[in-house]
Amino acid sequence: MSRKILFWIGIVVLCIYIGVALAAPLIAPEGPTAITGKPLQPPDSRHPFGTNQVGQDILAQLVFGARITLLYGFCSALLAVTISTSIGIVLGYYGGIVDEIACRIIDVVMPIPMFVLLIVLTTFFSPGIIQVSLLMGLMGSIYGIRIMRAQVLSVARTSFVEGARAIGASDLRIMSRHILPNVMPLVMVKFVSSSQQLLLMGVGLSFIGMWDTTTVDWGTMIQNAYSQGGLALGLWWWILPPGLAVIGVSLALAMIGYSFEDKFNPRVEVNRI
Amino acid sequence: MDQICIARLKVIFSSRSGEIRAVDEVDLSLNEGDSLCLIGESGCGKTVMGMAAIGLLPKNARVTGTISYKGQDLVAAPEQILRQIRGQEIAMVSQNSANSLNPVMKVGDQIAESLLIHRLCSRKEAEEKTLRLLDSLGFEDPGQAAGRYPHEFSGGMRERILIALALICNPRVIIADEPTAGLDAQVKTQILRLIRERVANGRTLFLITHDLGAAAFLSNRLAVMYAGELLETGTTKEVLARPLHPYTQGLLASLPSAGLHPIPGISPSPAHFPPGCRFSDRCPAVRDRCRKEHPVMGGAGGNRQVRCFLYD
Repeated sequence: MSRKILFWIGIVVLCIYIGVALAAPLIAPEGPTAITGKPLQPPDSRHPFGTNQVGQDILAQLVFGARITLLYGFCSALLAVTISTSIGIVLGYYGGIVDEIACRIIDVVMPIPMFVLLIVLTTFFSPGIIQVSLLMGLMGSIYGIRIMRAQVLSVARTSFVEGARAIGASDLRIMSRHILPNVMPLVMVKFVSSSQQLLLMGVGLSFIGMWDTTTVDWGTMIQNAYSQGGLALGLWWWILPPGLAVIGVSLALAMIGYSFEDKFNPRVEVNRI
Repeated sequence: MDQICIARLKVIFSSRSGEIRAVDEVDLSLNEGDSLCLIGESGCGKTVMGMAAIGLLPKNARVTGTISYKGQDLVAAPEQILRQIRGQEIAMVSQNSANSLNPVMKVGDQIAESLLIHRLCSRKEAEEKTLRLLDSLGFEDPGQAAGRYPHEFSGGMRERILIALALICNPRVIIADEPTAGLDAQVKTQILRLIRERVANGRTLFLITHDLGAAAFLSNRLAVMYAGELLETGTTKEVLARPLHPYTQGLLASLPSAGLHPIPGISPSPAHFPPGCRFSDRCPAVRDRCRKEHPVMGGAGGNRQVRCFLYD
């Protein structure tokens, strides 16, 4: 029962986030970079979250920043899950020497911390947000391949897949009509957990300033608040909104992922009344 | 006229404990329209026989001998030909295991898929054929049933779906491997009746089971298998009325209706068969010769054959 409640809370919160991001131009028509007030003003009726060091409205920055943060979180997760599912299905279905080699390569790459690797890569190549999202997606997929492949292995050994193969179904047909639908639940769970992980990673990267620091997203907002003395001066309205926003979306995604767990993790006990 | 002729079939698996002779030189033939039942206890090799007949043995199985079907040797046939034959000419109804049906695919789609893979008709025709088949197999609302998922059906209904999967391309030969396993008595009778009325008539049935009742109900010829070989063959009526081989006699005596007298001992491990007759350890009529020499299949009057020195 509690898992269901968690699921709905998570979904509702996520929808609120997405809704706010979509409605950003309505909520703050001037845009995130317009200077609309005096610098370092505390919250008032005109600026619900006050202003930053140049007088930009923090609420405007928050809602427009939501678009970018959510976008790179979900897009890189989508890319990661698509890649890991496709490769996982091909490796798990065909097996053989290619599978062996691929698994050894993954074994070697997996221990490398993704965050550090991303910092190194971005330092040398100074990519923009889109390139970093692509990179995050690519690297995030490595971890997922193992999991998808394991699930595919068990589905590929079932009687109905063997039966389909026995009467001459093409490999493509089997992979798309039999194997993929049976691993879909896992794909959904992976998407949710990847979204959470990659979104947080993206905020971290933008906090360090890995891409254009004039882009307004939650990471740069927190970085701004930190480096321009917001923390030192105790200006809570500057740093709390983006910080809490990040925590909130992360929690929402975690709750959704947790609520799936009882269906897909056989070790979790469930009391269904 | 022989439809399927199995000659000197051997299926050997290699394992760490040696060679496992699951099927050891079996000769068997099925005529068109026959209902042959292969009866035996668990582990005697009958399922391997069924798999061999449809060409679905695992890759580590070494097969020698021939299984000829319409002039083609299924043992030596390339996978391409076998895929054409499976489903369209020879189909299998298997046990109702959890894995036989795709849990996330509608039942109607799964049945129609066979037709579509063999490219026998258009999608619309395939749907119509599926509904007609489901109707003839006892589904009251075929349209609704076709739109449901496997877990929404009871065991007996799922077995009917498996039967539909086998029948949809209208094959000539049906191999049924323990079709009533795990079903309760009432449902079992329904399924057996269904097989007799809808599956076996007009087709050749190769039934594999350990259930003597199902054998008596469905088959007109019986072959008794033990430790990879055939011990006795004949018409079902004759074999059950007048069993020749001590093993068959023991099987019949072990039925509840006959007093539940089990045959003492257990069947030999397929990696270490005893020299001589494989049943000698457990045979009440065993003699010296039985332990040293291996008996061969010999005629015993009419169409009956038996592998026992008692009838030499």
